[in-house]
Amino acid sequence: MNEMDKATLTEEIRTALRMIIDPEIGKNIVDLGLVYDIVVEEGGVVYVTMTTTTRFCPATDFLKEAVQACVWYVPGVEYAEVRLTYEPPWTPQMMLDVA
Amino acid sequence: MPGATLSRWTMSYFAAACLMLVAAQGLMVAGYGYPFADRGAPETLVVVHLVAIGWLSLLMAGALLQFVPVLIARPVIGGRFAVPALLLLLGGLGLLLGGFVALSGALDPPFVLLPVGGVMLLAGFGLFAGILVVTLYSARPLPLPARFVATGLAALVGATLIGSAFTVALSGLAEGPLLDRLVADGVALHAALGLGGWLSATAIGVSYRLFSMFLLAPEVERSTSRAALWGASLAVGLVAAAAIFVLSGFFGAELLFAAALLFTLLAVFFYGADVLNIYRGRKRKQAELNIRASFAALGLFALSILFLNVPALRTGDIVAAVVYLFVFGWLTGLGLAQLYKIVAFLTWLEAYGPVLGRAPVPRVQDLVNERHADILFRLYYGAVVVATLSLVAGTNGLFRMAVAGQLFVTLCLIREFIRARRLSIVPAALRAPAGMVRPHLFLPLSAFQGDK
Repeated sequence: MNEMDKATLTEEIRTALRMIIDPEIGKNIVDLGLVYDIVVEEGGVVYVTMTTTTRFCPATDFLKEAVQACVWYVPGVEYAEVRLTYEPPWTPQMMLDVA
Repeated sequence: MPGATLSRWTMSYFAAACLMLVAAQGLMVAGYGYPFADRGAPETLVVVHLVAIGWLSLLMAGALLQFVPVLIARPVIGGRFAVPALLLLLGGLGLLLGGFVALSGALDPPFVLLPVGGVMLLAGFGLFAGILVVTLYSARPLPLPARFVATGLAALVGATLIGSAFTVALSGLAEGPLLDRLVADGVALHAALGLGGWLSATAIGVSYRLFSMFLLAPEVERSTSRAALWGASLAVGLVAAAAIFVLSGFFGAELLFAAALLFTLLAVFFYGADVLNIYRGRKRKQAELNIRASFAALGLFALSILFLNVPALRTGDIVAAVVYLFVFGWLTGLGLAQLYKIVAFLTWLEAYGPVLGRAPVPRVQDLVNERHADILFRLYYGAVVVATLSLVAGTNGLFRMAVAGQLFVTLCLIREFIRARRLSIVPAALRAPAGMVRPHLFLPLSAFQGDK
């Protein structure tokens, strides 16, 4: 898997994650800036670092599991791991203009 | 870091609370209690405790079981005691009301119902407070909103202890100068600790977080927020000190109470400034209905506390009208407004959380019809203002009509809550994706991802 393949897979994952909405805001988690990082490694191993709008929001587990499930279904992904972080904490300024 | 879980029994607390609000307003419409009876009459005490314990305290308890973890970023410890606490509270309230009915002479149940009810309420609130105290203790140092909750819990303990002493005195189970003094001069302190300390301080704390969350505003711990906390905490401390003065027969309890009201007014001023700052700093263009309706409640909160600080308005029937405005304008208005949002939010999590990322799902907003509810909230606040003014004017017929209006709106809002729970408003195409779990009306699902 060369760098271009990794970049392509990263973009496909990002596109797939756009189907997941934050239930409260109703916008997708990518445009909201909740997906901090997507790292694709050799063999289709993927690490996603994400956050939620509110620390310990009751939707946290559901969002994390949704990201996990969504990434697994992207062709080319062999292993996916989702890490939840609050460093830095999400702020509304992290939203993309389209959100 | 693990995510928060759903509180299993919050919706059951909410359902019981809504039924109590309907019952209390129904009794008032039927002409039971004040202003058709004396302010201290047993019939009035039935209505007052149905509202304060049955409606407001159960609502607040259910909300705290769900939202304290959001305030402190830790799960609730001992959530399994939420059901015994609810049963004790419901049983205790039932016995307490039975005791008041016995006092009124309408029926002939034994007076001992009062102290037994008092003990059960003490146990129920004690168990509930225990869950939250242990949970909050595990999260020290507490963020500012959680410190309001801690202040509220301290006030709850005070209000419950005084209330239990009242049940002993009123039933005639025990006598003595201590109890006599408390019954004569402690009613306002009992009410202040319950309605002001427990329900209002806690509501303020939770609202700091919920307003920022729902308005997408940055959470900043401002100096005004700390001033509001100090004001509220000092007020609770002063009322508790006044209760000790009353018990001891010392002079000066009234002065302490007046000082507590002044500190409360300052706290409300700083809290109002904070809410304004949160609103101005919001990223969300338009505030949702639950926020707009909460602002109306906040306005009535400030107004009623302002009135209570005028000594001339703390006497006679006027104070009853101001307390009515406080209870139905501020606490009930805020409660219904937040319930409107929370029911939809928790229902969404139960129904669509498990299929998120696997199928297209609706937004939380798709579970409600804001245009319809917007009219209901306008009617509600209008009815509360008319009811308050009719109490001032002494026009009891108009008061009944206004409360009937409140009751009508309450029933309509409960219908909206049920429609949200039933997913009736969700567009058909998104309503039932494969794997979706249809929530029960108010009982938890058997295989529920709830607290332990």
